[in-house]
Amino acid sequence: MFTARMIKLFAVVLDHDTDKVTEELLREGVIQLINISRVEPEWQEKISDVTPQVSMAQIADIRKRIEGYLAPLGIHLESPKEIDLEGRKPVALEEVSRKLDRIADEIREIRERQGSVQQEILRLEDIHRQIQLFGPGLSRAALRTQYSFIDVRVGTVPMQHVKSLHDETREIPSVILQLKKDGEDQPLLILYMKRDSDRISRILDEAGWKDSELSEDVRNLKPEIAQDIEKKISELMEEQESLHRVSKTRMGEHSEELQRLWVQLRVNELFYRVQSHFKHSSRTVIFSGWLPESKRTALENNIRRVTSGRCFLEWYTPDLHKREVEKEESTPVLFKNPRFLAPFQMLVKNFGVPEYGTIDPTPFVMVTYLIMFGLMFADVGQGAVLVFLGMLGTFFFKGKKEQLRNLSQLIVWCGAVSMTTGVLFGSYFGLPWFEPVWFDFHGIISGRLQGQSVINDIFDILAITVYFGIAVIGCGLLFNWINIVLKGKWTELVFDKGGLLGGWIYFGGVYVARYMVMNGYKKLPDVSVIFWLVGLPALLLFLKTPLYFIRSKRKGAGKKFTLFTPIDFGMEWVVELLEVFAGYLSNTLSFMRVGGLGIAHASLMISFFELARMAQETSAMQVSPWSILIIIVGNVLVIGLEGLTAGIQALRLNYYEFFTKFFRGSGEVFSPVSLSSRD
Amino acid sequence: MASSIRKYAFINAKLRARISKLIPDTLFHQMMRVGSLEEVLAILRNTPYSIIDETYAKTGDLKLGELELLKKEVSLHIEIEKYVKGDVQRLVQALMLGYEIENLKNAVRIFFDRKIRNREGDDSHLYILRQKIVHDFSVDRIINAENIEEIVKSLENTPYTRLLSQHSEAILRDGSLFFFEVSLDHFYYGNLLETAEHMHPRDRKDSLRIIGVEIDLNNVDWIIRFRKFYDLSLEQVLGLIIPGGFQLSGELLSETYSSQGVSRIVQGIMRSHPGLSTIVNSQAADSISRLLLVERLLEQIMLFEIKRILTGYPFTIGIILSYFLLKHREMNKVKAILNAKQYHLPEEQILGIV
Repeated sequence: MFTARMIKLFAVVLDHDTDKVTEELLREGVIQLINISRVEPEWQEKISDVTPQVSMAQIADIRKRIEGYLAPLGIHLESPKEIDLEGRKPVALEEVSRKLDRIADEIREIRERQGSVQQEILRLEDIHRQIQLFGPGLSRAALRTQYSFIDVRVGTVPMQHVKSLHDETREIPSVILQLKKDGEDQPLLILYMKRDSDRISRILDEAGWKDSELSEDVRNLKPEIAQDIEKKISELMEEQESLHRVSKTRMGEHSEELQRLWVQLRVNELFYRVQSHFKHSSRTVIFSGWLPESKRTALENNIRRVTSGRCFLEWYTPDLHKREVEKEESTPVLFKNPRFLAPFQMLVKNFGVPEYGTIDPTPFVMVTYLIMFGLMFADVGQGAVLVFLGMLGTFFFKGKKEQLRNLSQLIVWCGAVSMTTGVLFGSYFGLPWFEPVWFDFHGIISGRLQGQSVINDIFDILAITVYFGIAVIGCGLLFNWINIVLKGKWTELVFDKGGLLGGWIYFGGVYVARYMVMNGYKKLPDVSVIFWLVGLPALLLFLKTPLYFIRSKRKGAGKKFTLFTPIDFGMEWVVELLEVFAGYLSNTLSFMRVGGLGIAHASLMISFFELARMAQETSAMQVSPWSILIIIVGNVLVIGLEGLTAGIQALRLNYYEFFTKFFRGSGEVFSPVSLSSRD
Repeated sequence: MASSIRKYAFINAKLRARISKLIPDTLFHQMMRVGSLEEVLAILRNTPYSIIDETYAKTGDLKLGELELLKKEVSLHIEIEKYVKGDVQRLVQALMLGYEIENLKNAVRIFFDRKIRNREGDDSHLYILRQKIVHDFSVDRIINAENIEEIVKSLENTPYTRLLSQHSEAILRDGSLFFFEVSLDHFYYGNLLETAEHMHPRDRKDSLRIIGVEIDLNNVDWIIRFRKFYDLSLEQVLGLIIPGGFQLSGELLSETYSSQGVSRIVQGIMRSHPGLSTIVNSQAADSISRLLLVERLLEQIMLFEIKRILTGYPFTIGIILSYFLLKHREMNKVKAILNAKQYHLPEEQILGIV
């Protein structure tokens, strides 16, 4: 029900034990170090920072650089182990940087080659595109004007120079087609980028090129040219793919060394991070931090062991330091929920982190969330589908993002509770295959009541949800009182909106409302009853503002008392009453949406079955495929839409109607420095 | 109210999710600090810009990566346009014209280099966007045109044909595309303002404010360029400045250009945004630095306006406008850093560029 008990350590060790103590703190990984200067400002002049031997920022940069190289290889970097800490050596950052620079140069060479190949591909694609764009045939005259980036030449070359011509132009984006031979020399058509004109001309001259006229059959060679270009592009893309593989292989060859370097850097980074919280006096080192009380003995023994007893350790519980805690820093919070509550802890943390010493609502969220979901989404078959999908997700996300894994587990829980409520209400993929254990939900919605039951109509269903809401709000108020008592804020306990007076008004109001409902909305309780239940606490609430005014005056703060001050008191009282009455009423009625969505769920299924029945009636077959399809699609839609809606509404009710009664959410998550720290 | 919810609920929710994925300043600083292009790409791997890294890893071509990014962004904007209707759709189209005009300018510049300056040029024609953005015209026909009349013909059924016809003589006479490009910018902002004027009053107010600050930024940027690179008279400058600015009137801008002083502008900004005084306290020695100071102030005003919209009533045109502007800025910043790293510029210089 509460988070883990925390304790604060204040320690003084000898200077020459600093490294040993640092390693021990890192090995244990249970302490969240804090800045001593913030806690004891008067010490500022007497102590100085412990300066790390190398720049932490530089270590982090190089580490991230290595991560950048390894990420494309899909290598998952494991956190350093204890053995890495024992073998810790200072890292020569310059040397590591140089190593990384050499690797980067290797890769850069490959990238440059890739870039050149890509340029050729793009130029060939450009030639191809321009040929496609500008008319069906080729003609020199037309080409000169239309193909402004490309040029074409037709001519002949001595047979012995044909191969060398192909070899010389291989590197230049171009197309060479061999035409029908008519004589000793080989007629050729060459298409190329105008920017390469000089190079092409030189190659052609060396090969003994002679220009000739474009004949009729040459003008229709566009498909062959296009094919030739496509073939060249394909070859270049293969080369590109091969270079890409080479770059990955090259990086892979360095991966082991890089991983080793990464671990070394990470250990050093964490080591210096711990020391960055230390303060120096002339011969000692001082540090302070929070840890779970359950870890106190082990840490104390280990520190004494590594320092051979030459240390001073003082322990503080948050109660003793309440003043400092309130003024300077908050005690970090460590959730201590069992693993199976992880999905619900995720929901709580998404809203906020509870203040230390207040109630951790996680176990209660599990109950309220699942009950609400079950009431809104009651079906055995659809619940089973959710369980299946959730388990798939849990398996798929294992070892990957924790949030997605938790979400999958939440879906499993929701599915399981849907199955349970499905049994209670007798719904199996929308069909009444078995008698309901509690009452026939679908029967009530469709108007076919079968016999007397505890719950007979929609109003009874809505009543269940209202009672549930009252229970949840009552729970929230109780938690608020407990939290306030723990903090020792007695005035707030009485006068807070969720305090004793607020609760008195609320439960009094519930009694009055119930009395009225039970009497057919025609009668209220006696005036004296209403006065004691609602009127008196409402009047007492008037004392709140004057009391706070007097309190703030005593502290030397607050406004001056003027003629308007009593009017202010009155106005604030009226507003407070409006907020209490309207707020609690709306909070309670908000839970009716649980009933409403449950009704909507059942109604949707009834509608789909009605459509399926109509499809069956119009079909000659015994079982119409259309009706089967409608039922399947209907179930899929309901699982998707209603499932999402139910999940979101259950969350909303928890956050807004439940949490707002007691949850402050200003806590700070406990984040110790350890070898497995993420960042 | 129901109509604004119907209009904006879906698209604004979608764009808010995208706005939450914009790169934070801390990541930009990290990108500027690291030593090499590969390290910057590694940082971008877990962002919406991962496509640049993927393309670069496969092809070694950074420009191709940037082109792929631009294609992705334009496709997204086309998708946004499909989700909206009526006056909102018209405004989205008006915003998309920005990309189209930029692409048109690039195509015309390639033609200009090739045909007017007789330079075959580099391979920039390989990296031009060839897909339709708003209007249907062929970029290849522009690049490969023999003369300006061919380009005018290829741009028929677009609003650009008239602008090019009007400036064709000047282009040939002056050997410069400057005035034509300025006219394109005038057209862009004029069209944007006109579309905003026809919106619902609440949307109109927000749109005109943001577009106005964008115009102010553009005008100050131009004045810096006119001062540095062109020898223009005050009358010419007044004719070139885009009307419709939010903070800076034509009168203030002309005073700034002629006197080289920015005190009146700064005073005006301080009156409406006193929180910007920390920026003003930094000294600016020369006139260009003072103008850059004004540019910084306007950037902050733009961010302030966007923040006001994002924290205000959620069903307005403001979210769409904010997304377009923020995304465009972010893309330019990312490209600037990547290119700076490719050319091994130091961090301080990159900070100045960005």
